[in-house]
Amino acid sequence: MAVAAAAGAVDAEAEGMNSTKDRVGLGWRPDLAAGIFEHLDCIDLLEVIADDFFDSPRRERRALNTLSSQIPVVLHGVGLGLASCETVQTKLLDKMARLFDEVRPEFWSEHLAFVRAGGIEIGHLAAPPRTSQNVEAAADNLGRAISVVGCKPLMENIATLVDPPGSTLSEPAWVSAILDSVDCDSLLDLHNVYANALNHGYDAREFLRKIPGSRIRAIHIAGGKLISAPDGTTRLLDDHLHDVPDPVFDLLEEVAACSPHPLTVILERDGAYPSMLQLLAQIQRARLSLGRGRARRTATQKQFA
Amino acid sequence: MSTTAFEAFLARIYVDPDARARFKADPYAEARRAGLSPEECAAIVKIDWVGLELATRSFAKKRRPKVRSTRPSLIARVQNLFLSTLGFFR
Repeated sequence: MAVAAAAGAVDAEAEGMNSTKDRVGLGWRPDLAAGIFEHLDCIDLLEVIADDFFDSPRRERRALNTLSSQIPVVLHGVGLGLASCETVQTKLLDKMARLFDEVRPEFWSEHLAFVRAGGIEIGHLAAPPRTSQNVEAAADNLGRAISVVGCKPLMENIATLVDPPGSTLSEPAWVSAILDSVDCDSLLDLHNVYANALNHGYDAREFLRKIPGSRIRAIHIAGGKLISAPDGTTRLLDDHLHDVPDPVFDLLEEVAACSPHPLTVILERDGAYPSMLQLLAQIQRARLSLGRGRARRTATQKQFA
Repeated sequence: MSTTAFEAFLARIYVDPDARARFKADPYAEARRAGLSPEECAAIVKIDWVGLELATRSFAKKRRPKVRSTRPSLIARVQNLFLSTLGFFR
């Protein structure tokens, strides 16, 4: 009991040290609506999947506007496929632009992924070969998206079970090159970093050191599960159906210790929902990780002042 | 490298089990048949086969048609929120 109380005091101190305006929110899912409305005071913002509202009736979109008047909302796209050698579809950009104009979110985001090619819809986010040609094509697509939507998206790194063949750039070099090419900031998915590091044999912290910290504006945290591969090995599947594992909270602390900007953290959960209190506990853990990271950053700054 | 044809070939083997089976049987020939350059063919035959198998399973799961939800829509939920707020002020 005394140990728990002491740990609580340390956590409270860490949270108190976070004077930066970091925020922690939740991905909007209809199944979570009741719990979200009941605990709006514990959630700083909501992330809404933009594609879900592209073709929705006007009254649904009006409801989304009403939601955004209650709590800050950000839009998250999943189907543009901007990191592709194929030109992004104008009709999808128009839909994103229309929704953006209606909702006026704080920001919008998309993925560094391709989702279709040669007329084939993959149905999910896929990692393209990481090459300089892909960087140029992604920059073209991002330029189009910025022009149509009217502002820059935050771009998210994806998880991939298959290391994209034909790659000539490392993942951090490829991500950084695309962000630099259009001066875009990053939505860093820490579970994707953790899963890719585990699955493809590199150090997640080393990955973080290679991504420009000044570009990180938002963060996704989520959970996954280990799956068995045909060769008897295991890989980590980023399924968003499990609690955020400890190493992801540790990575969050690392980012907070290095990032000069306020961070917006979103907890993603796509199913197998636990109680709202369990989700709120993970949101609170994220706040504590941010607080510890910010405390380290402050201490470092004082040391070199 | 990383041409549209290369991405299209990846998309095909990700979603089409027959194309994937042909590719597994003779990777280089199948890639050439799809119009990939010799350089691209040399790259794709080095694909992480275990990762490919797991990724295609994951993609297939994601593509399963979603059962139409019978849950209240967003509008119903927001209306409920307003009703409860009104109740609070009464």
